[in-house]
Amino acid sequence: MIWQLDLSVLTLIVLCAFATIMVKDLLSAAIIFGAYSFLMCLLWTEMGAVDVAFTEASVGAGVSTVLFFAAIYQTTRMVRPRRSAQWLSKAVGLTAALLTGLVLVIAEKDFPDFGNSFSPASLHLSPYYITQTLHDTNVPNIVTSVLADYRGFDTMFETAVIFTAGLAVIAILRRIKKNDRYELPDRSVISEGYPDTIIRFVTRQIVPFIQLFALYVVAHGHHSPGGGFQGGVILGASFILLAISYDFKIVLGIMNEKTNILLGNIGVLIYAGIGFLCLLLGANFLDYSMLSKVLPATDTVMARSHGMLGIEIGVAIAVMAIVISIYLNVASHGKYDKGL
Amino acid sequence: MQSILADYNYWIYILLMMIGLYAMLAKNNLVKKVIGMSIFQTAIIVFYVSIGAKKHASIPIIAHGHGAVEAAIDVAHYANPLPHVLMLTAIVVSVGTLGVALAICLGIYRRYNTLEEDDIQEQLQ
Repeated sequence: MIWQLDLSVLTLIVLCAFATIMVKDLLSAAIIFGAYSFLMCLLWTEMGAVDVAFTEASVGAGVSTVLFFAAIYQTTRMVRPRRSAQWLSKAVGLTAALLTGLVLVIAEKDFPDFGNSFSPASLHLSPYYITQTLHDTNVPNIVTSVLADYRGFDTMFETAVIFTAGLAVIAILRRIKKNDRYELPDRSVISEGYPDTIIRFVTRQIVPFIQLFALYVVAHGHHSPGGGFQGGVILGASFILLAISYDFKIVLGIMNEKTNILLGNIGVLIYAGIGFLCLLLGANFLDYSMLSKVLPATDTVMARSHGMLGIEIGVAIAVMAIVISIYLNVASHGKYDKGL
Repeated sequence: MQSILADYNYWIYILLMMIGLYAMLAKNNLVKKVIGMSIFQTAIIVFYVSIGAKKHASIPIIAHGHGAVEAAIDVAHYANPLPHVLMLTAIVVSVGTLGVALAICLGIYRRYNTLEEDDIQEQLQ
């Protein structure tokens, strides 16, 4: 941990946060927010949280920015100040923010020192994870073993939350009936995509490699930063790249609405199914060690490692499908005909 | 001064939380409010990851493989993995909540043809 780097990155983060709130153009705000996320990613790498940084790089800096772009493209770009009582809302906002800040500053005195190895959070549960993960599960990446094995319940419902978010977006935005449709102003010049040869060529060449890399991230999450969430988001982002550089229809041809919902279901069911398989084999729910009975040539330790790989694959499929589904709905205003 | 510099991560997290809260309350545009919500979320993530950080510690992946010495694992040598796990899933959930929030914004725009709070209030009355 290099405190000079820490301090400069944190200063830049605060500057970016101020700028993204103050700027009048929403598109600029979205771009600055992307820079903010990249700085966050740098900060977390610097604090040793490599898995968090990886997730932030793919989710926060990548997909979130694209979602903002899609939403701004469908609505308005410029922000207008409040017509009346502007000072009132500013005063209320400032008072609430300052009060919260005051309470937190008072509470800050009781926080453990930054970087202390003997802070209460690092004393009780985490030493067990750090010392036992190789012995219990044969997985050296502690974050993966905690995520997929020790706290598997947590992650299962987290995946279910992602799935629910995808369903909610579809329920809010999707318009199927003709007369129910909200007519967008015609921006076909942009939405059809003017044929930029260089961008299309590069995208065509790079997408297979992005997808291969995503599969590597899923499969190698046991030994290096990465795992189902990151790999799934990168897989989804490769399709979003295709939709942006080519045409909306290309992605719809590969991943239409039915496929997306089906894959989201399959992903969550793979996760829950492995849990139930453990139950059927006589162990607790999501206790992978019993999988050694059905997997050939594995002992109970390796079975836990393989079980984690299985659920990571489920998570990746679900996250990929839901990310694509959210993008398709937001970018086309729920109409699936044209979009960013 | 010494204590301020030692805990700068916590001070920054408080500052980011205040910025996010201010944006959510005072901004007129709904997309700006959503950006404020995202900043608020990242502030909390900064707090959690800061709690798990240890000075002079490595990333939470245990050195292993061919040639690695099978020594006893020193807990102080690896960063606390538990906050990382919790925040990793929180980031992925935040993209889900962002999608839902933007979907609601688009739904409002479809109905009222504006994203400015005072315009929507005017039309509601």
